[in-house]
This record gives sequence, C-alpha cells and structure tokens, in this order.
Amino acid sequence: MLVNLDASDARPLYLQIMDEVRRALVVGTLKPEDPVPSVRELAAELVVNPRTVLQAYRELEHEGVLYVRRGQGTFVAPDVQPSSGEQRALALGVARRALLEARRNGLGAEELVTMIRELAAHEGEPASPTPVATGGTNA
Amino acid sequence: MSHATLHPTPRIADALREQVRTVALSLRGPAVVALVLLALGSALAIAEFVTGGGPVDFAPELSMLPGIVGFLFPIAVWKSERRFGISFLWLLPVDRRRHALVKVAAGWVCLMATVLFFLVWMLGLALVTGGNILGDHAVRLLPSAIVPQSGTLDPAALRTVLYAPEPVLWLVPFTAATGAYVLASAVAIGVRHPLRWAIGVPLSVMLVSVIGAAANIDALRLLASRLVEFIHEGRYGLDALLTARAESLNTAVILATGKTVSVWRGLPDIGEWAVATLLWIGAGLVVLVAASSRQRERRRPRAPVSP
Amino acid sequence: MSPIISERAGAGAGADCAVSTHGLTKRYDRDVALDSVDLRVPDCAVYILLGANGAGKSTALKLLMNLEPASGGTARVFGLDAAQHGPEVRAQTGYVPERHDAGYTWMTCGQLLRHASVYYPAWDHAYAARLSDALELKLERKLGRLSKGDTRRVQLTLALAHRPPLLLLDEPTDGLDPVVRKRVLALLAEHLADRPTTVLITTHHVHEVESLADHIGVLRAGRLVAQMARDELQRTVQRYRIELPDGWEAPRDLVVAASRSSRATREVQWTVVGDEREVTDRLTTAGARVRDVSSLPLEEAALALLPVETSR
Repeated sequence: MLVNLDASDARPLYLQIMDEVRRALVVGTLKPEDPVPSVRELAAELVVNPRTVLQAYRELEHEGVLYVRRGQGTFVAPDVQPSSGEQRALALGVARRALLEARRNGLGAEELVTMIRELAAHEGEPASPTPVATGGTNA
Repeated sequence: MSHATLHPTPRIADALREQVRTVALSLRGPAVVALVLLALGSALAIAEFVTGGGPVDFAPELSMLPGIVGFLFPIAVWKSERRFGISFLWLLPVDRRRHALVKVAAGWVCLMATVLFFLVWMLGLALVTGGNILGDHAVRLLPSAIVPQSGTLDPAALRTVLYAPEPVLWLVPFTAATGAYVLASAVAIGVRHPLRWAIGVPLSVMLVSVIGAAANIDALRLLASRLVEFIHEGRYGLDALLTARAESLNTAVILATGKTVSVWRGLPDIGEWAVATLLWIGAGLVVLVAASSRQRERRRPRAPVSP
Repeated sequence: MSPIISERAGAGAGADCAVSTHGLTKRYDRDVALDSVDLRVPDCAVYILLGANGAGKSTALKLLMNLEPASGGTARVFGLDAAQHGPEVRAQTGYVPERHDAGYTWMTCGQLLRHASVYYPAWDHAYAARLSDALELKLERKLGRLSKGDTRRVQLTLALAHRPPLLLLDEPTDGLDPVVRKRVLALLAEHLADRPTTVLITTHHVHEVESLADHIGVLRAGRLVAQMARDELQRTVQRYRIELPDGWEAPRDLVVAASRSSRATREVQWTVVGDEREVTDRLTTAGARVRDVSSLPLEEAALALLPVETSR
C-alpha cells in the first residue's frame, strides 16, 4: 500500500492517513485480510509522528475497517465492504474539497456538477454515477 | 512515561576505568617520543660501556626525572580537554567537579605505570652493564653541614663512610612523581591560564631580586634565593620529596690540593623523607580538592518567578 | 495583548510535562537572551521551538542541560531541577548541540562512541551499530577530520543510542544534505515508534519536521509569544479572503499577521490570528465580506505569529 500525504492539505494528518487507507480499499490495492504497514514502518516512510499513525489506525479499528492480530500486526478486517461506507466517506471528502475550491473560484454547486458531467462525458465515462470497483479511469 | 524509570548515571568506577583508558590513549604520542629518547640514551650509555666506559649506576632516589615528569604530566592529561568552558565532558551525565578529580586520578594511574616502566628500564640497564643498584658504596662526608670555601678544605678532614641506601628508597620515584603531579594537577584544574602563573610567579620573584639588587636592599635581593632555598632545600623541602634530599646534600667541592671531589654534607634521612613526603602529598591533595571547586557545575537555587 | 499561550498547555503548571520552565531568564551582561519563559513540553510530545536567529532557542536548550546557569527562574526535566540535578537530567537526555564539534579531535568516531557508551548505562550497543550504519558513520576517521555533516551524524548517534526519554535537538539536520536529512527524520520517526520519547526540536527547516510535530512554541527576542498544540494553532491562525467596501477601516484590535491585496479588485487576503468565529464576526460587523476561510500549513501558521506585535 502506497500512502501519499499532501503537504499543502491542511487537514489533520491522521485523517489524511485514514482516507488513504480507505482509498486503497476502494481502488483495490488493499483487500480484506491484507496486512497494513506497521505503525513504525509507516511513520518512518511518511516521516510522521507514530502517534498520528496510531491514531489513524485506532480510528479505523473503531470503525471496523482494520483489526489487530495479537503479535502479528494490523490487518484489514475480513468483512469490510469497500464499496459501501468507505467509498461514500471517500466521495464525501472529494466532494467537500471540490466544493470549497469551486466556491473559491466563484462557482456554485450546480455549475460545478454540470462542468463535471460535461468533462466526464468528454473523456468517455458514463454520465450516471456508478460505483467504481477497479481503478479504471482513463486519467 | 513514569518518572520512576529514570536512566541511571554512570558509576564512578566505570568512569575511572574509562578515563584511564582515554588518558592512556591520548598519551600515545608523547609516549612514543619518550620511548625513543630513552632508547637513544640507553644506546649511548651501552655504547660507552662497551667501549670501556664505566657501568651505569642507578640510584633511584637521585633521579629528578620522575619528579619532573610528574610535574609535567598534567599538561599531557589535560591537553585535549577544555578545562573551562563548555566541553564534551559537560554534556555527559557526570558531576563535573567529581569527574575532574576522576580524571586526575586516571592520570595518576598512567603516571605510576610510566614511572614503573622507567624504573624497570633503568634497572635493566644497570644490571646489563654491571652497575651498582642499591648496593652499599663509600661516600666522602664533610666534617660539618656547612660547605667550606673552595680551596680551603683539607682532604684529611673528609670522612669516608659506607652508605647503605635503604630499600624503601625505591619508593622515592613514585612518591616524588605523585607529589609533583598532585600539585601540578591542582594548578591545571584550578587556574584558567596555568602558563601565565608558571611563568609569572618565578618572573615576579626574580623581578623582586633585581629591584633589591638595584636598590641595594639586601632583604629583597636575597629574597629570591632564600625563598628557593627554603622551599627546595629545607629539611622538609621540595628536594626531600623529590630525592630524599640526596640532590641537595650531594655537592662538589674544590680541595685545598686543587682537586674537585664529590662530597656529601650529610646522608639522606629516611624519617625526614617520610615526613616530607606526607606533608607535600597531603598539602597537595588539599589544594587539589580546593582547586576542583572551580570545576563545579553552577547551581543557582533561585526562587521561581511566579508565572 | 498578552502572549498567545494556550490555556490548555498552561494547565496543571507543568505537572505532567516532561519539560517545564518557570520564569526562566538568561542574561549575558545587558543582553537578555531569555525573558521569563514558561515552557511546557508535555510527556511524549514532539515540540518544535521556533524563532528567528538569536531569539533564544539554543539558549533555552543549553539551560535545560545546565550548560549555562540561569539568571533567574527554574527549569525542570521530569520533575528534576536542571540546575540542582545536572548529571541526572543529562542521563535522561539526548542532546544535539548547535555547534558542530563532537568531542576529542584525536579520537576516531568509533572510539568516541565506545567512550560515550560507558557514561550511559542505558546505551543500546546493537541500536548504536544500526544507527552508525544507517547514518553511514566513518568509524575509523578521526573526529578532527570530519566535515560538518559527518560530525552532525556522530552527534545524532550519540544522542539517540542510549534511547533517552528526552531528546533536545538543536538544528539536528543542519549541515546535512537533503537525502541524509530525510533519512535522519525517518530514523527519528522510528525511534519514536520504538519507545515513547519527548522531543524538543529547534530548526529552520520547519516543513521537514512539521509532520512529526504536535506542539509548537514561538520565541521572539527571548519571550515565548506562543505555545500550543498543533491543531489549536491551525484553528487559531487562518487565512481569510475578504471583500472590502470603499472607505473601509480595519478594526483596530484585529491581529493581522500578513496581508496580500490586489489593487484591481477590492479583495484582500489576510492571515489573522484569533478564533475563527470571533474574527469573522468582527470583520462582518466592520462591513467586510468574508468570502473564504482556510487553514495554513504549520510552518506558515507558526511564522505568522512571529512578527505579531505584543503590547506590554
């Protein structure tokens, strides 16, 4: 699982990490029962306070996305449904950021949605919303 | 984290052992130089012996070398250490004052090893050349302790006695070096610029003599020499520490016949030597401990300013 | 305006703090290096101490190690008075000084590490070996022949190898090239993961360590003008995009740290210090229209506090 943190994103780091884990689940790089990097590994890789990683993992554990196997590490829960709660949370995050950006540029929500649909159609994607099971956009 | 699981500070014994190692390591350079000089000197002595010269005698109490080495040793011990001001030592979890004394002690251990090595070497040299070591030998004794004017002494007035040096005199190099080292170490850790003092004090004394001579004040003119005499050649003077007074008691006079002979004003007294040694080393230790207070970490028990 | 000391940080008067100072003052003749500083570094926090050159950051760290005596006030590390219990405090601390000199110039790196290991009974030899590998220490080279960067690496190894409960790092990555800097910080993150450690860092490269930090303190001319947890900082300092009407006058008591304006439109961008709701209210009441409020990255937010005028 590759995690990328955005330096310019002002959201709390643990939230960013949680979103990255969810993204990996939705996109399919992480599957149920897969191991996630240890707190130590991830903290070193991202150069992030281990407590931040721990906080992210704990929250995800609390939400039922991850679970800890004693002495073996942290794993993705076997019954996690990437296409339900996770995708929705992810989409919410993307939408919120897009809306903020839009407002910053003087665009309203409706204008934004129209533009998105136009752009997606131009790029060959179906106009109606479909749950994305694989990472198959032609970006 | 619980405050109960604090990391400990190192034990003094460990610190001492480590300092002996460090001081010994830092003395590698001077040690090599000294060894080379010793080897050269020995080679010359052996060469002379082989070509018909006399054997190498070694009287342990007569050599001023251990005393001189002891006096100069702190220079080498403290050379790579910043004695005043923030140094690597200051970052370590040790009490600075105590650790300064630990370092002095470590230097002393190395010094004793050096003196022992020197002694064994000289012993070997003497044995190899068949010289006299601590054996009885005949010496000429003056009739009184006062050294007569040159050319006035009648040879018949000299008494020849058998001087049997006591075995305890083998300790003299060690005690001499120790005494000198303790005093010099006190200067090293107590004074920021020991060189200024080492040059300044004798210079001032000499200046006083010069002024005395110029102004024709006998008391001042002779002050320097009297001071030196008292400190060095007194009954329990420095020479008693360094050579059991063998150095100052042994002198050369010109006889009425014109011949120059080596005579003794008196014989070294073991009791005097023991007392002098104890006095000097004792005083030195007191001064050393006092000087170490300059190394202490500053503690300022100020009342906290209300936040 | 009184210094922006977070209320929460001051609570408990430092009872549960790894490092707490009370009115800590340091004067060099007439020059006041630290002025009545009340530092609070909570247990296991990663605290960045910011400030311009000469603001007193290095002095604060030196006082904690008792390398210099304080002119007033006290400094406590794990409850121990740094001035009274210097050796004990230093046994709990891994210190990287500002200067690049590691010790005896005639010793090799390896010899120095071995020498230091005797003085820290808690020294972890295996870890020290891993650190010297990871930092590529030249163990056989004499300290006197090392470059600035190499010396820094030795100093870092010395500080970390005995796994002290407190790390005082004064510009830890100074003199290191970017690749090594990243490696050092990754090592630091791992170090923190292995054992709970409190870290107090001063650095000019805030962006490097900002993802590690959870507390921030700002020193200005010896005074601690701000001290708070990271989230609180990001809530307190924000960027406001405002539309101004003609003839507009800024409310006098608004703390504006930085501003950008474009002449063509009447739009300005202000970095304002204060609670978001309060600031927005004040601006709106004054007649401005707040278009947008956004958070700032940690470095910018902290730096915004630097030029803030504190009236006494």
